[in-house]
Amino acid sequence: MRKRDEKKRELICIKAIEIIVKEGFDGLSMHKLAKAANVSPATIYIYFKDREDLIIQLCIKEFDRMGEVTLANFDPTMHFNEGLKVQWMNRIKYCLENPLKMHFLEQAKFSPYIGIVLDKANVRFRQVMKQFVQNATEKGEIVSLPIEVYWSLAFSPLYTLVKFHMEKKGLPGTEDFVLTEETMNITLELVLKALKPA
Amino acid sequence: MINTDVLVFKTNVRFQNDLDNIAAYIDSESRILMWNVDMEDKDLVLRVEANAIEPGEVINLVKQAGYYCEELPD
Repeated sequence: MRKRDEKKRELICIKAIEIIVKEGFDGLSMHKLAKAANVSPATIYIYFKDREDLIIQLCIKEFDRMGEVTLANFDPTMHFNEGLKVQWMNRIKYCLENPLKMHFLEQAKFSPYIGIVLDKANVRFRQVMKQFVQNATEKGEIVSLPIEVYWSLAFSPLYTLVKFHMEKKGLPGTEDFVLTEETMNITLELVLKALKPA
Repeated sequence: MINTDVLVFKTNVRFQNDLDNIAAYIDSESRILMWNVDMEDKDLVLRVEANAIEPGEVINLVKQAGYYCEELPD
């Protein structure tokens, strides 16, 4: 009987994410992963049914973790302005502390696995966020919008700035870009203004 | 769950009909609780979750179906 070792499992997960970020999902094979984690391919199969099971479990775990970080100190009954600020801070924190995993989740979003993954991952996170928008709309704190339009306005500016910051450069031909708290606050104010009912 | 072993084998079970062929044999063994073949892997890994079964017994089942089967070392 092979013993389960959570540390070993964790190492396999970390190495798998590193390979996927570097070489894409197609670049991940059990043999390559075994070599990187310094275990035998047989050991990987103790923890995962097959390659697809490994990828799906990695995605679910990381989406859930990102969701947890994002919901810290957050309450869906908060005033919209306050709640969105907490969301921005938490999302920046997750991205800056987990650059590799953030990249991995971006890849996952555009992979064929995303359907299966989102059936199981982030269930609470999505419920809470939906509730937040619903509350804010009912209380008249934001205009009523299709959810995609709302999301684009509420979060795309943030992620674009985070990306500039993480790449340590802004648009081509400009100076290095640093996302300061002041820049974040100015942007957030503009976003809140855009979402506010007339 | 505590007594369940995970056994891992290298095979030549490449296609769906190969899978159907070994299924007839593996499903007849009541100690095997769950099994699958990773057909995306070059070793075509057969993974078996079973109670108190020897690797040799699984190998025999697969061989009876007419396929290659060898335990993967740790």
